[in-house]
Amino acid sequence: MPLFVNNLNIEYPGKVLFKDLQVEVEDQKIVAVRTEVLDGGTTLLKGLAGMLDGIDGEVRLDGLDLLHMDPAQRALKVGYVYEQQGLVSLYDCFQNIALPLQFHTTTRNELVETRIFSLCEKFNVDRQLLNEYPHALNDVQCRMINLLRALVIEPKLLLVDELEGGMSEKVLGDTIDTLREEQKNNAMIVIITTADDLLLDQADDSYQIDDKKLRACH
Amino acid sequence: MLDQQSDNLKTPEESLSWSGIGKAILNPIANFYHVSMEIIGLISVALKASTLLLNRRRRLLFYSLFQRQVYNAGVSALYVNGVIGFLIGTLLISRLFDYLPRQIIEDQFGQIFVVVVFRELGPLISGIILIARSATAITSEIGYLRLQREFQVLNGLGINPVFLFLLPVFFAFPVSLFLMFIYFDVVVFLSSFAVVWVSDPSISFTGLLANILSQITLNEIAINAVKAILGGMLIGIISIYFGAKVVDSFTEVTESISKATTAQLLVFFIINVLLSLLAYTQ
Repeated sequence: MPLFVNNLNIEYPGKVLFKDLQVEVEDQKIVAVRTEVLDGGTTLLKGLAGMLDGIDGEVRLDGLDLLHMDPAQRALKVGYVYEQQGLVSLYDCFQNIALPLQFHTTTRNELVETRIFSLCEKFNVDRQLLNEYPHALNDVQCRMINLLRALVIEPKLLLVDELEGGMSEKVLGDTIDTLREEQKNNAMIVIITTADDLLLDQADDSYQIDDKKLRACH
Repeated sequence: MLDQQSDNLKTPEESLSWSGIGKAILNPIANFYHVSMEIIGLISVALKASTLLLNRRRRLLFYSLFQRQVYNAGVSALYVNGVIGFLIGTLLISRLFDYLPRQIIEDQFGQIFVVVVFRELGPLISGIILIARSATAITSEIGYLRLQREFQVLNGLGINPVFLFLLPVFFAFPVSLFLMFIYFDVVVFLSSFAVVWVSDPSISFTGLLANILSQITLNEIAINAVKAILGGMLIGIISIYFGAKVVDSFTEVTESISKATTAQLLVFFIINVLLSLLAYTQ
């Protein structure tokens, strides 16, 4: 099983958000998690990504222990798309997208550029946007740049926090279709938190957060 | 929070008690010790992160941010350093003309320049300009990055935030400060010469310059380099330390700038005075 979550407990001081969470996700699946305001959707994704300290349990991706592996190695396996912000203000969009590859790998700059331009084309992101700094982007553009940065490493697990905010149905639908195309080239699991019915319908599996666990919607 | 408020609301009797006086004396000392230890810790973190520069790709990423800092802090300061240097140069020489015979000034110009400008005024004024122009900007930039949760973003990408946010400042500030010493000394010399030349056009530029250069020993240059390295490094680290204290609110940024600037001025003056006393006391 490519993603295996076992007995995951996530809590903040005085509040338990997830208790004994169990999830198994097969390769190349898109999983949607219905989320409400402040119900722990973002925390769940960060927990799965190994970005939170002091959580118990087991998260294994292709046998790798995501909670205890080296952050640099994990950054090449897991892509994370923030709902808001999530970019480095000191860099323009191109540099933001290229950053994980340039920092962690020896990929040649020409190849980095080719990969970024190819992603821009697939996801209909205007190349001129690559020269802009994060402060000049609107929410949707910011999320799309986040998405490209997460995809540029060709992750095995893509975690997306509420992709839909401010997006038209067409753009959202096209983005999901393109993600499915990407899954054909790069066998990755996509987990998206969402409040959007269209996304919940399009996903292979959908869950909702209920009583500190994930319950299947259909 | 309530505990903090109740601590502040002491009755006059409590404040005047021995324990109240003891706390009033000991708390700032304990606080100073705590901050000093954290800043030393931050320096060791920066030195440890420097090992990442051994990787060529990472060095290139670092270099673009380092260049940006040197340009903003060191190169762009030419204008303000130049204006202040010009004013001090003209003021210094015109004042000296009021008090000393011209012959003494001409003979002793090199020594006066080195003792007053090269050793003391250049480093002090350049440091104050660095603190006012660039350190405040860095404190607010780091505070903003903290508010935007960009440290967490970098951690999520498996990148040590110290490498991108701290290291460029840690290395660029000493370089910038040393550049500013040079601008300042050059401009003060040129403006001083201009004043001398107006009163006596026969005076030789090269003679005056040679007079100064003969007074600048390797020891003088080394002391100034230490002032630039130590001063620049600590000014940068203090900015980042206080900037990184910002957690939730924009008002914390202004508070951080105020605390950082106070600490930087004190630290920089102490470094300069101590080094001058150690180096130049016979």
